[in-house]
Amino acid sequence: MNIILAVAAEGAAKSGLLDTFHVNWPYFIAQLINFIIVIFVLKKFAFGPIQTMLEQRKNRIAEGEEKLKRIETQLSESEERTTAAIEEANLTSKRLIDEAKESAANLSEQKTQEAIASAQGILSKAEAAAKSERDQMVAELKQDFGRLVAATTANVTGKVLTDDDNKRINEEAVASIQG
Amino acid sequence: MSKLFTTLFLLVAGMSNAAAAGGKALPLHPESIFGEDSPFFWITDSMIMVWMAALLIFLFCKAATKKMSIVPAGLQNFAEWLIESLYNFFGSILGEHLVKKTFWFFGATFLLIIIVNYLALIPGVGTVGTISSDGNHFRGFLRGGNADLNMTAAMSVTFAVLWFYWAITENGLKGFFSHIFAPKGDFKGIMLLGMALIFFLVGILEMISIAIRPVALSFRLFGNIYGGEQTLGGLMSLVPYDWMRFLPALPFTFMELLVGLLQALVFTLLSAVFLKLICDHGDHDEDHAH
Repeated sequence: MNIILAVAAEGAAKSGLLDTFHVNWPYFIAQLINFIIVIFVLKKFAFGPIQTMLEQRKNRIAEGEEKLKRIETQLSESEERTTAAIEEANLTSKRLIDEAKESAANLSEQKTQEAIASAQGILSKAEAAAKSERDQMVAELKQDFGRLVAATTANVTGKVLTDDDNKRINEEAVASIQG
Repeated sequence: MSKLFTTLFLLVAGMSNAAAAGGKALPLHPESIFGEDSPFFWITDSMIMVWMAALLIFLFCKAATKKMSIVPAGLQNFAEWLIESLYNFFGSILGEHLVKKTFWFFGATFLLIIIVNYLALIPGVGTVGTISSDGNHFRGFLRGGNADLNMTAAMSVTFAVLWFYWAITENGLKGFFSHIFAPKGDFKGIMLLGMALIFFLVGILEMISIAIRPVALSFRLFGNIYGGEQTLGGLMSLVPYDWMRFLPALPFTFMELLVGLLQALVFTLLSAVFLKLICDHGDHDEDHAH
């Protein structure tokens, strides 16, 4: 420290402050030019390209973030749409199933009724046919029975029966059957 | 390895010898390399160091930006980290708008100062030289770039000019003067007159302070770096044995590493604060007031 003070004091005593430190225009301008050149070199070759790269990377990250947000939004929208579509599909399918069930029930009822009607028709037809057949059989039986009674009567009595007798006997026999 | 060690040892021992010979201190001023009568008299020992720093910076920049890729690696990674850190550091002082405009100056100044300071710590700088025949004058071959007041003055004067330019472009000429002289606050009537007078006087003090700033900046940096070199040289001369003169200076060399960084920070930080003060429109305070 003493050396510094001694040198400074010695220099200051000899001449002015600027002379002591050899601050003069040529040295100062030369150093100024050096400084400006260094600033220019750093600005052009370091700060320029590196800051451009940093900016580029920043923009890329921002773009990526933006895209990610957009994708997330789209995904949530898509999920909402899918959920809505599934819900709608569920409702539609339920409605269709209900309609189908109802339609099937109606159809089944209709077919049952038709079957019943058809069966009733068949039954009444069969009944009518059976009745007609029975009536015919009864009529035939009655004729046969009358003839048989007349024949038996003729055989038992040994009498030749007239038409009127035959007719009367038949009618009596048929009446006895009916009675 | 042993050869390298021996060479380094001899270099350190040699420089100690030269510096300590006669206990001659490093002069306060730079020395012309080719002599005062040469047409190249303006090339000084400190200027050589600044050129070396500029060359190093240039080579580093070229290497770091040679193959730029979006995924950084190696030197590009380091350069990006360095520049981004500096940008964010100055951005935290100046704000986003000002740092975009002025980073090229503050970043470059910081890097130049720190590299020049560290180059000055290379053994031999400021200590290897010749002693005049009468034994009273030591002349070093190399001298720390910032141990030359011309260099520190060049930086601070450049900043002073840029400070005016940025202050006027940011505030306008009227805004610039009103920033310095106009009363701050809402005064009316007689209070306004009184405050106008006070703020005018404060403005004059502010102008004096503005004028002193480059001087203070240049002398602070010069003083610290020159003082560091003198301390190292002085410590070497304390030891009687030539071969161990490097020893007392060794811990202080580490301290000078810290001083080199701190002085680069102080110079650029103060410059940034000076600029922020003149360009600050009080938006921040208003926000708080609301």
